Amino acid sequence: MSDFGRLVRAEWTKFRTVRGWVLGTVAAALVTVLLGLFVASNSHSVCSKGTVDVECPTSPVGPDGQPVRDKFYFVHQPLAGDGAITVRVTSMTGLITYPPPDHDEIVPGLVEWAKAGVIVKDGTAEGSRYVALMVTAKHGVRMQHDFVHDTAGKPGAVSADAPRWLRLTRVGDTLTGEESADGASWTSVGTAQLAGTVEIGLFVTSPSDLTVHGGVGGGGFQARLAKATATFDSVGLTGTAPGGDWLRDDIGVEPNPDGTLHHPGSVEEAGGVMTVSGNGDIAPLTGESGPAIQLALIGLVIGLIVVIVVAALFITTELRRGVIGVTLLASPRRGRVLAAKAVVLGAVTFVAGTAAAALVIPLAWAALRSNGFRQPGVPLPTIARVALEAGLLVAGAALLALGLGALLRRGLAAVGIAVAVVVLPYLAAVVGGLPTAASEWLLRLTPAAAFAIQQVTPEYAHVLASYTPGSGYYPLPAWGGLAVMAGYAALALGLASARLRRSDA
Amino acid sequence: MNRVLHAEWTKVRTEPTARWLLPTIVVATVLVSLLAIAAASCEGGGCGLDPVALSLAGVQLGQAVVVMLAVLAIGGEQGTGLLRTTFTAAPRRMVVLAAKAVLTGGLTLAAGTVAVLGCVAAGRAILPGNGNGNGNAAPSLADGPTLRAVVGSVLYLVLIGLLALGVAAAIRDSAAAMGAVLALLYAVPLVAAAINDPELQRTLRRFAPMTAGLAVQATTDLDDLPIGPWAGLAVLAAWSGASLLLGALLLHHRDP
Amino acid sequence: MASSIEVSDLRKRYGRTVALDGMSFTVRPGHVTGFVGPNGAGKSTTMRVVLGLAAPDGGTALVGGVPYRTLRRPLTHVGALLDAGALQPSRSARNHLLWLAHSQGLATRRVDEVLEQAGLGEVRRRRAGGFSLGMRQQLGIAAALLGDPPILMLDEPFNGLDPEGIVWMRGLLGTLAAQDRAVLVSSHLMSELQHIAAHVVIVGRGKVLADTTMSELLAASPGEGAGSLEDAYFALTRDAVEFRGEAAR
Repeated sequence: MSDFGRLVRAEWTKFRTVRGWVLGTVAAALVTVLLGLFVASNSHSVCSKGTVDVECPTSPVGPDGQPVRDKFYFVHQPLAGDGAITVRVTSMTGLITYPPPDHDEIVPGLVEWAKAGVIVKDGTAEGSRYVALMVTAKHGVRMQHDFVHDTAGKPGAVSADAPRWLRLTRVGDTLTGEESADGASWTSVGTAQLAGTVEIGLFVTSPSDLTVHGGVGGGGFQARLAKATATFDSVGLTGTAPGGDWLRDDIGVEPNPDGTLHHPGSVEEAGGVMTVSGNGDIAPLTGESGPAIQLALIGLVIGLIVVIVVAALFITTELRRGVIGVTLLASPRRGRVLAAKAVVLGAVTFVAGTAAAALVIPLAWAALRSNGFRQPGVPLPTIARVALEAGLLVAGAALLALGLGALLRRGLAAVGIAVAVVVLPYLAAVVGGLPTAASEWLLRLTPAAAFAIQQVTPEYAHVLASYTPGSGYYPLPAWGGLAVMAGYAALALGLASARLRRSDA
Repeated sequence: MNRVLHAEWTKVRTEPTARWLLPTIVVATVLVSLLAIAAASCEGGGCGLDPVALSLAGVQLGQAVVVMLAVLAIGGEQGTGLLRTTFTAAPRRMVVLAAKAVLTGGLTLAAGTVAVLGCVAAGRAILPGNGNGNGNAAPSLADGPTLRAVVGSVLYLVLIGLLALGVAAAIRDSAAAMGAVLALLYAVPLVAAAINDPELQRTLRRFAPMTAGLAVQATTDLDDLPIGPWAGLAVLAAWSGASLLLGALLLHHRDP
Repeated sequence: MASSIEVSDLRKRYGRTVALDGMSFTVRPGHVTGFVGPNGAGKSTTMRVVLGLAAPDGGTALVGGVPYRTLRRPLTHVGALLDAGALQPSRSARNHLLWLAHSQGLATRRVDEVLEQAGLGEVRRRRAGGFSLGMRQQLGIAAALLGDPPILMLDEPFNGLDPEGIVWMRGLLGTLAAQDRAVLVSSHLMSELQHIAAHVVIVGRGKVLADTTMSELLAASPGEGAGSLEDAYFALTRDAVEFRGEAAR
């Protein structure tokens, strides 16, 4: 065995022969699992329509397997092969119910991502593939397909004085979106692929009006119903069966308990002009499986505190009791001694963290399911990834505490500082001691950035939502957060190593 | 008691760590409050923020430093065997613990008052300019609820210190005691924030030391609080009392 | 060469205090070398410099011809007992020696061998925090013997031992020396050293005051008839004592 191998073996023997440290590590994993299970089994999802309790609906799933919202009013005809739809949008208006500041009236207005335009969709099932070309209230013309793809066209809103022409053409499997201001000169917006028999037509939808407030107390958001109505004329359709009737479908609408439709859309046709109204959205669902990961891993925060204590004690008791002198007699190369401790501690805590996360996420999901949660589950590769990253998070915190303990030589200070920079910023973001903007900055600059491993759904620029840490969205990507944690740990260990090498023992 | 108190005071003022922990309490509290205030901007009035509670947000970091001070008051001696010497000089252990409690409480009172007043000053200076002027006046000590929040926050810090002292007397190792107190304080708010059961949430928040104690900081939306301001401090005081009792019992019966 | 300690012109100061002021001596195998001097003379500092725990400002210290920090399995070259209290209280005696053995790649059975040799066989699984001063001392000796080293450096090995332990230690030191090992013993127990050490190094104020065989030192000491180590010591160190208390009235 090499010199370093012997050192690692000795440090491992040191660790495993102190019952308190072994039990502490096990307790950290246990507390992670138990707290996560406690929270999950006490979280109930209760859905009701009016006064009747119903089972919570399962969200439809898009082509990539992610949960989506697919609700809009669709006026359409079937299309088998090549074809095109051309339309002129001359107005777009809407209603917003009970917006701030007073929340007491229904006002005319549009939310920024209200959508009206043409769409080619693979059937009328929710979650089916589509390609859409649309005007939006505040983001100009957009071409979107399959929920997560979004391309910008020209900016500007639509009005009677400034109408917008939209054309979606299919040749073979390729769809091309074009827009025009006058119907004569066309600019291409984008292309996409969609094969097979499809439904081609007009659509209108509008997401809810959202206010996000990041206040003390965790912040939150309010969503209120908003509708959009658009007027289309000069509708030209090629490639469909001649003389076909327009089919009308309120995609994604839900029935009320009494049989009527809940917030239905509508269409009126008069002399070639169609006025279509709709509400809902064609977009990926945000923040639906994210919080469940965060919920399951809630115990990790307390487990981290325990791990930090064990890591700090691992080095500070040796320093305090003078055992470091014995260690240095056995292994005079001081940098290597610290490195061997880091290897052992890092490995042990990595295993404990990964095991705890791998155990608690599926168990918590099972508990949530039996409590009425109906979001689609997180796929196994994602669970594996999050569990491994959780192990890295725990190991990183342990190594930071080790470095602080070796540097400051006092367990109290090491624990205090490590908990303050690893745990408290995350707590402030989730429990809500600070406004969202402040906690997001902390989640960039402190080792708590590593909690970003819990983000499983990306942010979408074309979907307005409450993208806060409390909902499972973090300012840094997972690897970025782990890198920040690693950087702090490396700094602490580096300084500690320098101090150890310089000083007399 | 006076002699013991004098001895304890001498110990504290000659211990360099204790000396710089006190300004750290102030700095940590005010710094985080500044961060909170600076980051809170409201577009168009009524952003749902309580300006006083926001200004006092730094207490949530300051309390960690207070815990450190309290743990040091007794944990530092248990580690080195100095406690044995202390008890040889003053065999009535309860008196020793009481003296430590008085000292810890007093020092926290002093540092906490400076810290909290610093937060209020920061709030007065920065909040009006942040768009909070619409109807949200700068925090003023002349205002009843604000004064309650300020006084309550100082008392909160003192009670947290006493809670930590009890735990540190019970758990002999200072690092482990620090971890235990922090876990105890932060576990329930964490769990309560994640649980999706409003009744259970409310119950947890009513009886947990940190959430009940911090209720005193609120000056708006008092109906949304899980517990009334002074009642919340009483809950925290009960926790601190129980912790000191446990610590006292263990101190009395164990060999130091 | 393989089993000797060579200290040459060591200098070290801690702030304004001079701890070592040109300390030079050699410890050779085959006999016990006593290392004596008043408190503050630099005995512990010298030992720590030799063992690589402290860095000197000048001079060299070699064990077996090389600096300690370059040794690859140092405990198989030098066994040291410096601070018997340096123990993790919650670890058992056996586990304390176990990690030491692992760090040198020694077989586990060696741990049980030295525990028996040191008389701790019965209490090997007891936690070290519960050990008396003497038992901790015995554990420290066991650790020093773990690697079966040709060089031994022991700081106050008699500290805390009961009379039986003292007799045992006397015998052990003699045996080790007879096995042609270099044995350096620092102690204030003049009576013991006089009987077991064949060579003695007396230091004061950071330098060597005498470096000679025990018989020569005793022959040269003042007083009538065969002198004692204590007399020789006092004669040599009279001016080198730093911390002298007042005589009781």
